[in-house]
Amino acid sequence: MNGLVRAELLKFRTTRSSRWMVASTLLAVLVGVASTMATAGDDGSVPLETTEGVRNVLSAGASAGALVIFILGIVSMTGEHRFQTITQTFLVAPVRSGVVVAKLIATVLLGLALGVASAAATMAVALPWLAHEGAPARFVQDVVPVAGGTLAATALYGVLGVAVGALFRNQTAAVAVSLVWMLIAESLLVGFAPSIGRWLPTGAAEALSSYTPGSGDLLPMWAGALVLCAYVAGFATAGARVALRRDVA
Amino acid sequence: MAVIEVEGLTKRFGEVEAVAGLSFQLGEGTVTGFLGPNGAGKTTTLRMILGLVVPTSGRATVLGRPYRELSRPVTRVGAVLEASGFHPGRRAVDHLRVHATAAGLPAARVGEVLEVVGLSGSARRRVKGFSLGMRQRLSLAVALLGDPRILVLDEPANGLDPEGIHWLRRLLRRRADEGGTVLVSSHVLTEVAQTVDDVLIISRGRLVAHGPLAEVTGRALPAVRVRTPEPQALRQALAARGVTAEVRGPDVVVAVETDSETITLTAAGRGIVIYEMADERASLEEAFLALTATNAGGAR
Repeated sequence: MNGLVRAELLKFRTTRSSRWMVASTLLAVLVGVASTMATAGDDGSVPLETTEGVRNVLSAGASAGALVIFILGIVSMTGEHRFQTITQTFLVAPVRSGVVVAKLIATVLLGLALGVASAAATMAVALPWLAHEGAPARFVQDVVPVAGGTLAATALYGVLGVAVGALFRNQTAAVAVSLVWMLIAESLLVGFAPSIGRWLPTGAAEALSSYTPGSGDLLPMWAGALVLCAYVAGFATAGARVALRRDVA
Repeated sequence: MAVIEVEGLTKRFGEVEAVAGLSFQLGEGTVTGFLGPNGAGKTTTLRMILGLVVPTSGRATVLGRPYRELSRPVTRVGAVLEASGFHPGRRAVDHLRVHATAAGLPAARVGEVLEVVGLSGSARRRVKGFSLGMRQRLSLAVALLGDPRILVLDEPANGLDPEGIHWLRRLLRRRADEGGTVLVSSHVLTEVAQTVDDVLIISRGRLVAHGPLAEVTGRALPAVRVRTPEPQALRQALAARGVTAEVRGPDVVVAVETDSETITLTAAGRGIVIYEMADERASLEEAFLALTATNAGGAR
């Protein structure tokens, strides 16, 4: 089992596309933080000098990490079909549940690492900037919950990605459909029909990572965590089931 | 005990029966050539033996167990399968490290198998730039990682140059001589004929022949080669007795599905002189065509 997890991490480390994904995540985090800082208070958006304003800045990069690790999770499964490496993988580990679990664990570990890196990048830029703007972030009230929620959401999205990848073998289709769903369909629902949107994965993840109690649109943080966990468990069960039975030809 | 045992193995894909009630056993110390026309079910059979495809019915076991229940399977069976690939951006050495890590094998094995397949010099190159033959060698390297006694190879000679084929042949021979079991499919029959002890021929998912190479080729097309000064006369005389014969040269007639007694009697009756007579062994290709054509029946 241990060997399989290490093999999955090695698969990740030994391709160049993974490095690009990590680099682009960090870039997206910095852009997100900077643009939120720059536009805070404009056109009726929350001003910087409020708790919500500060937390908006801190969580600005959260979705980038979640999105990237979600795609990495999908690619971790579907890439094996795309490049036909799944045959060798299952020859080495014919008990397929072991492979799926190893991919889940490896992706969560990567998600946590990416989450820590994103949080560190966010803090490095946002904390001095906020202090300079006269809206210093409070460590326990602002930084800890936002960073913790971001980490949790990123790890859960990794699991969700592996599960989706196990369900849909076609890599292009799996990534394209998921992105359209997450970035367009869900975002619209979260924005315009929050009564539905907050129950969807993106809404739940936003609740988990932005930690904005009192804002009526999203679920409370704990409920967001539970809802996201439920989605993850449902997809993971279905995905594992499909991957275990399917012929590899 | 049979090393690989297949019993009533059947696989249906919708309406199509790819493999239909196939049964055979492979023992130790043999190289078996697995032959059949395209679409005969070879790859599906190999994939069922290796637990990648679930049989509709019947079973396939390796060392008495289904592949999926083997502990540390790569130390027992090494496989090269078609439609098995590489991440193009990964270096050859990293590809092997991934599998060695997953299988819990010592990292030193990676260097050893690279040496064995002759890829040490290209270990740090990305697979993207590999030729078909180099990819085939890398596949073989993966198969050899666990130093298994059983090898299951689907078209392993694809893309190999003559030197590579020679090397592969010696490798398979050595495995078998050490008591290993090798099952190798190939469509290059002359290639197979030089390497294997036994042949296993299937057609449309069914077993057509399984046995020592000489036996299978002999049974397929028993033929007698006759040297005579009057080949045309002998051919006509044999034809009159219902024996098919063919003139192959100024003094040679080859008669099929008959024996030397019949030919001698026929020739004596017509006063035809015979210089020399010998059983002619059909080539594997002729045997293969004869066996698979009969079995396919009206389908062709």
